[in-house]
Amino acid sequence: TNSAKNAKIAAGAVVCVESEIRGEVTIGARTVVHPKARIIAEAGPIVIGEGNLIEEQALIINSYPENIAPDSEGVEPKTMTIGINNVFEVGCMSQALKIGDNNVIESKADLGRNMILTSGCIIGACCQVNTCEVIPENTVIFGSGCQRRVQTERPQPQTLQLDFLMKILPNYHHMKKTVKTTSAVTPAKN
Amino acid sequence: MSGTVQMEWHQTPGNQVDSHYCPSCLENMPSAEAKLKKNRCANCFDCPCCMHTLSTRATNIPAPLPDDPSKTTMKKAYYLACGFCRWTSRDVGMADKSVASGGWQEPDNPHTQRINKLIEYYQQLAQREKLERDRKKLARRRPYMPLAFSQHTIHVVEKYGLGTRLQRQRPGAPITSLAGLSLKEGEDQKEINIEPAQALDEVEPLPEDCYTRPINLPEVTSLRQRLLQPDFQPAGASQLHPKHKHLLIKRSLRCRKCEHNLSKPEFNPTSIKFKIQLVAVSYIPEVRIMSIPNLRFQKECQVLLTLTNPVENITHVTLVGCEEGDPEDINSTAKVMVPTKELVLAGKDAAADYDELAEPQDFQDDPDVVAFRKSNKIGFFIKVVPQREEDGDVTVSFKIRHDFRNLAAPIRPSEEGDAPTEAIWLTHHVELSLGPIIA
Repeated sequence: TNSAKNAKIAAGAVVCVESEIRGEVTIGARTVVHPKARIIAEAGPIVIGEGNLIEEQALIINSYPENIAPDSEGVEPKTMTIGINNVFEVGCMSQALKIGDNNVIESKADLGRNMILTSGCIIGACCQVNTCEVIPENTVIFGSGCQRRVQTERPQPQTLQLDFLMKILPNYHHMKKTVKTTSAVTPAKN
Repeated sequence: MSGTVQMEWHQTPGNQVDSHYCPSCLENMPSAEAKLKKNRCANCFDCPCCMHTLSTRATNIPAPLPDDPSKTTMKKAYYLACGFCRWTSRDVGMADKSVASGGWQEPDNPHTQRINKLIEYYQQLAQREKLERDRKKLARRRPYMPLAFSQHTIHVVEKYGLGTRLQRQRPGAPITSLAGLSLKEGEDQKEINIEPAQALDEVEPLPEDCYTRPINLPEVTSLRQRLLQPDFQPAGASQLHPKHKHLLIKRSLRCRKCEHNLSKPEFNPTSIKFKIQLVAVSYIPEVRIMSIPNLRFQKECQVLLTLTNPVENITHVTLVGCEEGDPEDINSTAKVMVPTKELVLAGKDAAADYDELAEPQDFQDDPDVVAFRKSNKIGFFIKVVPQREEDGDVTVSFKIRHDFRNLAAPIRPSEEGDAPTEAIWLTHHVELSLGPIIA
């Protein structure tokens, strides 16, 4: 893909070549993007922080809202920000514009564009949440009726898993090129 | 099955509890033990928030060494966590345990003592009532006849869970003999007196901010969460303690008339097989729909059905349409013409798949009636004329009459060397739903 020019992948991030990254995407250090993950920045850039884990078939998309045509004028591109230590499990879809830290979006969950996740939130498997609200800290959304409860501690960051993947994935996949940091002397790893 | 040959689908056969087991750890338990543990598993817990099974997780925490308090070493601490709603035992303040299982205690009910005393008192009351009734019954009998247990008095004693006198062993008291009544029976047990519950005049007043304090919604428990813990019924989520998991049972079925066992599952909870499985499917020829053409209102269509023979001997099947005013024929919406000739089904041969040289049996089928024949199955046509134009499925019904040989009956010696088992002809009502009419 010719998105290599627009995607800025920091050194230390592990992004597999089979993942699809389109548009202006910035990926922080120690973030792992699995093959077949898709990060699509249509209606604006996406900034992803450090230590995130984006698993297979996850879709992070900054798309136009349904009532606005892509080419209409006066539409400002909004940046989607994703914090640190988040986990996007297999098959989830996130359109939320603002995601904080230490959140977990479980498999096949579906987040709408107007949601704002603070920190420590867990969106349960197959939960579709499309409201216009700020989810308070440490909230767990689970069940077929999207019940909610508040947990007392935030989910642990997946450091062990991240370390493991950063060692193993390069053995089996090619990685996308990272951006050279201007101050470092050593060449950027591929 | 030497008793009745009767298809029992109109009456529910008698249900009996066969065995208890825990659905998550699959541990088997005899009924007496299950009753003692109040039908709960000792090892497994349910999440008080979402009622799923809790799993035990371990973390490493630094703990001071017993020899040298200044140094710390990593020790394993276990806590309970729910994978579905992420509830943990730490949420309600339960401390982590150092053993993986068996360390978790259910909180004590402050009313346990009073409840136990009440139960004892009522058990004694039931015992006394039973004695009274027995005395009345015996007054009519001669004194040297043995005391007969009446059905009614057994139920009275069972009312409070005491069990019959025979089974109940009280420490120190001898098992009294059945014959003859003695006044000592009632006085063996000490009199249990209970204080009546007292009504209070003063009740704790409501807190002052009862109406003004904003509700902390995550802290309020739902009715279901509350009622699953009837001892405490906590209103706050921080008092929801996990409960032990409920046991499930396996049932065995019995015929009501002849008391034979119809269905008895295996004792092992991991096995889904049956020790005894007398189901009608293994004796009655099975009718299945093979292909349905486009159904048209008031036009004759040919539907292809198959008949499969589940038994090993040859079966003869006759199909008969339902008569007018047949009480079993309530749902049919179409007229049906079934083949009038008798259909012959070959026996089920378990080795037929492997034996390629087997000669096909010659049954001389009428090609208008029998479409094909394959080992113990035949395909045949019925003609259907839908009578109603409405939405909904076209339903036809007819009767199937077949011969049944009871091979499990003992073989009577026969002088002529005939087949020792006689055929019984059984008739069943069959209803088929053929799908909607295509205009």
